[in-house]
Amino acid sequence: MIRTENLTKVYRMGAVEVQALRDVNLEIKDGEFIAIIGPSGSGKSTLLNLIGCLDKPTSGAVFIDGINTGKLSENGLAEIRREKIGFIFQQFNLIHTLNALENVALPMFFAGVRHEIRMERAEELLAKVGLGDRIHHKPSEMSGGEQQRVAIARALSNDPEIIIGDEPTGNIDTEAGNAIMDILEGLNHEGRTIIVVTHDAEIAARARVTKRMRDGSVL
Amino acid sequence: MIAPHKITKMRDKFLLAYRGIRERRARSILTVLGIAVGIAAIVALMSVGYGMEEAITGELTDYADVISVFPAKITAGSYVELGSFTDRDVKDVERIAGIKEISTMTFDSANVEYRNENIPIFIIGGDTEKLESVYVEPVGLKEGRWLRENDYKACVIGNRVANDYFDEVIHVNDKLEINGEKFTVLGVFKKGGMLYANDVDPHIFLTLRATKDVLQTDEISYIMVRVYDIDEAEEIAEEIKEAINDNHGLDDFANAMTMGSILEQLGNVFNIIRGVLVGIAAIALIVASVGIMNTMLMAVMERTHEIGVMKAIGAKSSDVLSLFLIESSMVSLLGGVVGCVLGAVAAKVISLGASTALGIEFGTVIKPEVLVGGMAVAMIVGVLSGFYPARKASNMSPVEAVRYE
Repeated sequence: MIRTENLTKVYRMGAVEVQALRDVNLEIKDGEFIAIIGPSGSGKSTLLNLIGCLDKPTSGAVFIDGINTGKLSENGLAEIRREKIGFIFQQFNLIHTLNALENVALPMFFAGVRHEIRMERAEELLAKVGLGDRIHHKPSEMSGGEQQRVAIARALSNDPEIIIGDEPTGNIDTEAGNAIMDILEGLNHEGRTIIVVTHDAEIAARARVTKRMRDGSVL
Repeated sequence: MIAPHKITKMRDKFLLAYRGIRERRARSILTVLGIAVGIAAIVALMSVGYGMEEAITGELTDYADVISVFPAKITAGSYVELGSFTDRDVKDVERIAGIKEISTMTFDSANVEYRNENIPIFIIGGDTEKLESVYVEPVGLKEGRWLRENDYKACVIGNRVANDYFDEVIHVNDKLEINGEKFTVLGVFKKGGMLYANDVDPHIFLTLRATKDVLQTDEISYIMVRVYDIDEAEEIAEEIKEAINDNHGLDDFANAMTMGSILEQLGNVFNIIRGVLVGIAAIALIVASVGIMNTMLMAVMERTHEIGVMKAIGAKSSDVLSLFLIESSMVSLLGGVVGCVLGAVAAKVISLGASTALGIEFGTVIKPEVLVGGMAVAMIVGVLSGFYPARKASNMSPVEAVRYE
């Protein structure tokens, strides 16, 4: 379960302070499929980054399975990101020097999984997202939809309970976007918690819970 | 989850680092070259320096048992003649214990005429066998043959005498007039090396008898002494000085120099030369280091986004740092190897060029410690300049790094 407690994030841009999040209290149960919607600048991505342990709050706390992530060291946070969370970005963020198979295997590499095992698992995951025949292609040789499916396979590589998507369909066409949502739905059926940020109402409609944000607060 | 395997993880990091280098081929080649040029400068300059030193001391070491005795004050660059030795001096020197052999030379300037041109030239006469071992063996003859004791009106001439002094080039069997007497040229020396250029090239060599006749003197200008035991050379040199000074009633008349003391002085000179060369190489290296740091910094900056992604998917700061350090040490190592090879080649080219341009022969001495040192410097500079940007990147928050484009 994920719980936030008075989560606040303030960005300083020179002399100006921007309050990106204000006292957000949110509870996401295990196995939930939640969409967070709201206009840009409403704090959706900031919230996602804090839940995903990519950033640290100014005040307040994020609890993941009862662990206060604010109390963890850098390495502890890296471990949470590696073992419990799979992150999917709007820009896919694949490593362009590595092919699909190597990209998917990378989180397992950081987890210390043996080479043969991680290659085998990476291949299975790519097959699962429908790219079994494109495992040796570089990101530059793939469409946006394909790249995002590689990114999902990568997010799954250490078998995390939580999948976080920051506008995962924002950079791809509707058809490919629907395919991505199909995969995410499937992962939710496997029991994984899915958290997606979007401003596409159609996409949000496929989630089981929708939360709306405005000016740094969850409404 | 599967237990971590540290060794395979290390091997995989090397593979991943290698991928990083290979994928950015142009930048990697530039970085390798940047390091290589700096290291090559050091290796080349040091090797040329050692080569020069060896060319000179090596030739001199063959004469380590020699004591040169002059009736002159010799300081750096000047030779002030105070008189000449007598037969009695030679006899007294012969009596000193530990001396293997003695030979004497007589030399002075004489008027030399060739095809109606008159030029004053330095004439050297001595025991032909001794002169042969001192001058002919190291320098060699270009044409003709060397003097024998029973040659009388015959001479062997230095390379500059043959080619430069007179309008027309002198060859074997040509006739010269020395102080009015006709001499036949028996042989012509090759160009002397660094050491012999001034000792052989501008001179004419005669038998001792002919020299004394033509210069009309019995004076002895130089005594060469060979000793049995090199360790006693300094002591014997002192005794020689005392014996001759006693004969002439002067304190500072004779100057006896052992090869050891000459080598020692040369050693000091070479320390200075080497210091200068190392200084130049150090400047080259500093310039190269700045270049290396720049390329490393750029390489890491360029990949900040990638570092952010790696951290977002679970890489620890130490994973990222070690990945980049492995990469920069692989690049540095390669740069060091290429630099050593380039440096060795450059040293050969420099010594070859200098030998032809200056007319002095010297090789290169490529010492293993110079190569090892070059590699070490390459690694240190490469890794240190990779360390700062890598650490900076690995400490960035993943969000910041991912946003970086």
